[in-house]
Amino acid sequence: MPSLLIKTFCFLVACALASACNNKEFEVGEDVESPTPLFGTKILLPSGLGEVNTSMTNARGEVVGVRCSTCHSMELGGDVPARKAEELKDFHKDMKFNHGTLDCQSCHNPKDRDTLRLANGDSLAFADTMQLCAQCHGPQMRNYNDGSHGGMNGYWDLSKGPRVRNSCMHCHDVHNPAFPIASPVFAPRDRFLTSEKETHHE
Amino acid sequence: MSEAPNPDTVGGLTRRDAVKAFGATLGAAAFARALAPLSEWKDGMDFDSFVQKHYKELGPNDMDVVLRRLEKSTKEEYGADVEIRDIKPLDGVQYGYALNLSTCIGCRKCAEACHIENNHDRATGGSYIRVLEMKQGSIDLEHGDSTYEHPVPQPNRYYMPVQCQQCDNPPCVHVCPVQATWKEKDGIVVIDYNWCIGCRYCEAACPYHARRFNWAKPEIPAEEVNPVQAYLSNRIRPQGVVEKCHFCLHRTREGKQPACLEACPTGARVFGNLLDPNSDIRKVLATKRVFVLKEELGTRPRFFYFFDK
Amino acid sequence: MPRTQHSLTYPQFLLHALRSATDGSKFFYAWMTFLTALVLVGANAWAHQVNNGMALTGMSDQVSWGLYISNFTFLVGLAAGAVMMVIPAYLFDDHEMHDVVILGELLAVAALVMCIMFVVADLGRPDRVWHMIPGIGRFNWPISMLTWDVLVLNGYLIINAHVAGYLLYTRFIGKKPNPKWYLPFVFLSIAWAVSIHTVTAFLYSGLGGRPFWNTAILAPRFLASAFVSGPAFVIVSLQIIRRMTGLKFGDGPMMTLLKIMRVTVVLNLFMLAAEVFTQFYTGGAHVTSAQYLYFGLHGKHALVPWIWTAIFLNVTAAIMLMTPKAKTNMAWLNTACVMTFIGVWIEKGMGLIIPGFIPSTLHELVEYVPTLLEWKVMVGIWAAGILIYTLLLKAATPILTDKARAHQADED
Repeated sequence: MPSLLIKTFCFLVACALASACNNKEFEVGEDVESPTPLFGTKILLPSGLGEVNTSMTNARGEVVGVRCSTCHSMELGGDVPARKAEELKDFHKDMKFNHGTLDCQSCHNPKDRDTLRLANGDSLAFADTMQLCAQCHGPQMRNYNDGSHGGMNGYWDLSKGPRVRNSCMHCHDVHNPAFPIASPVFAPRDRFLTSEKETHHE
Repeated sequence: MSEAPNPDTVGGLTRRDAVKAFGATLGAAAFARALAPLSEWKDGMDFDSFVQKHYKELGPNDMDVVLRRLEKSTKEEYGADVEIRDIKPLDGVQYGYALNLSTCIGCRKCAEACHIENNHDRATGGSYIRVLEMKQGSIDLEHGDSTYEHPVPQPNRYYMPVQCQQCDNPPCVHVCPVQATWKEKDGIVVIDYNWCIGCRYCEAACPYHARRFNWAKPEIPAEEVNPVQAYLSNRIRPQGVVEKCHFCLHRTREGKQPACLEACPTGARVFGNLLDPNSDIRKVLATKRVFVLKEELGTRPRFFYFFDK
Repeated sequence: MPRTQHSLTYPQFLLHALRSATDGSKFFYAWMTFLTALVLVGANAWAHQVNNGMALTGMSDQVSWGLYISNFTFLVGLAAGAVMMVIPAYLFDDHEMHDVVILGELLAVAALVMCIMFVVADLGRPDRVWHMIPGIGRFNWPISMLTWDVLVLNGYLIINAHVAGYLLYTRFIGKKPNPKWYLPFVFLSIAWAVSIHTVTAFLYSGLGGRPFWNTAILAPRFLASAFVSGPAFVIVSLQIIRRMTGLKFGDGPMMTLLKIMRVTVVLNLFMLAAEVFTQFYTGGAHVTSAQYLYFGLHGKHALVPWIWTAIFLNVTAAIMLMTPKAKTNMAWLNTACVMTFIGVWIEKGMGLIIPGFIPSTLHELVEYVPTLLEWKVMVGIWAAGILIYTLLLKAATPILTDKARAHQADED
């Protein structure tokens, strides 16, 4: 009788140990060789770079934009180029400007309005605006290049397919770059989950 | 003990026996009537569904038969033509996912994309992702709110989407009595929806509220059904089984980004192969200060959170 | 001594059981009809649940276990409580208890059948129960505690059914029972009774994501409350059985159980106090569920009246049981037993299972209110269990009073 109990006890202990051993750690494995990217990453550019929108539309219904030099070759800006948005009295009035302590000449080239300029004076095409962003926002640019800022569509494995990305300017208006506030998608509609009221506790 | 023959018996049966037999018949009929609603329930009650083996025991031919049967029943029940595949894990791949808490604005577009990609029930607006609005300065989930409806982002708040962490030490896998859920070799914890018995022990065990139960049959209009499906991921799940995020394995096992990542407008989500030293996820792990949720529970998640600063 | 022909006597035994189950007074028929009606209501409700999904219940992804698992947990305790009769009868040679211990074993059988019914009622896919059968399905033993529970509960059912069945059968055929056919099982059932409720507690206490349950004291608490609810039920039911059947026994068994309860009610309350202290003194993450349960949280307080009622019932019953009146005044004793039975039922179910889910793992506060359908299924299963217990007693008591005997072929 007692031997049966002892045998049962030993069996149960063995099972417990077996279960502990069964709980093998999941082995993540060794690093592999990085696959050769066979596809590229395409960075889209928004339309209207280096252009100002007019009130006209073309035959396709698209807004017609004019290049900066259209007006600026006529020196409509006056003798002293504006440095602050508040100085703009007649044109570019509907533009919102809130980009830290920058002024217009930080990025715009008064000598060639169809280009931008870097801090060292080098010219930069409007298509390369992102480089200008990166000039000051290095961390964000590094994040962007590493894939942790700015999102993407496409493949995580570039040996299997391409990637498409937005440029900085798609999300950040260069003159007022703060990411806009938006309404979120609806809250979870779980059964019995009600909205939490803000109450004081502890 | 012998008795004198009882004139009230007919062939050995007493009147009492006859009444008992009548009562028993009445009872049986009442019982059948009580259980009548069961006869209306046909979901997966054909013989083949009933005896279907566990995913791991299905050979390629068996799996084909199962997939065709499921495609056919999806067409019958939902009116949608779908293609269900069985997509195996890639070699040399271990998935990892990271989330940038400095960049997430709490728009819930990821949750919406998951809802659409994974054929969730429309009425409950289900999604595997739950976004918590957290108070600046605390990662205590006690101060999180998932029900916010105001414009985002709010000042002094940050946003933390939570979904299945695909733990390396998953409590849900340990507790399942029938091994309906397991961790695949590429790290994704999957569920065989045709094996799950719906006991919801895994749902109790998960520390991240990642597992969801089909309290009713999912309802999706035919035109909204995502027809690109896989057996272990986004096929339309039956009533009475558990489901959860599967890192969009029908996409990611072909090298594509998961749906939630593609939907994120700020690019707060980073996904890739942990074994590839040049992958985006490895760069995050190398350069950012990452943490995981509820680390003290020893679940070893594959989902990492980080701040830019 | 003519050799027993089991092929003749065993069918007689079964036939006797069938006959006695369906023979009785008008009261008996009314009782059985009433219970059957409740069972049918429950069965119908369950059929609707299977057909339309568990959306018909009040459970949610946040509170994913409710009335069914609460009752299951409580009933495992009730089944384990039967061991409180076995220990005095077999380990301490309490002869009076020995005469009635079989009634406790039959109670365990009925309670375990109820447990199994509650588990099946809670399954989202009851048609897939066969997936759990080792060999045919996939049985995740030994890692999943649920598989341990399946083994120990079915094992305990078999042990008790065997012991009770063997003793009744041997009495029926007028033979002295052979100790080697039942004594090892009796002693096994003592250890096994402890194991069923320990394993059930381990289902909960092993989950790191549920701090309200993730405590070592959970298993001892389960056992203490089992050894309160079991004896409480048996004390009251023994008196009912003595009144309704020809079974004759003194107050001895009740008094023994009372002595046991005087220890276990206090132990139960002590362990509750220990839990409450640890939760509230430390505060922090571990207290939110307890806060919700005892005082409400963020304006949600559905369980507060329940838990305080349970505490009131348990404390009052404990005091009542400690007084000398409990030994002499049967009404006093029975009231205390009923009170503590209900108190433990509330404390196990609403006081233990539900708060484990509130707040959820992401700290969402979703309350749980069972729907009418769940109450119907619960009532149906309780009625089925009581019906089974009634049938078992109805079959057993004529044998125990030696009124039912097998006819041997060469006897007359």
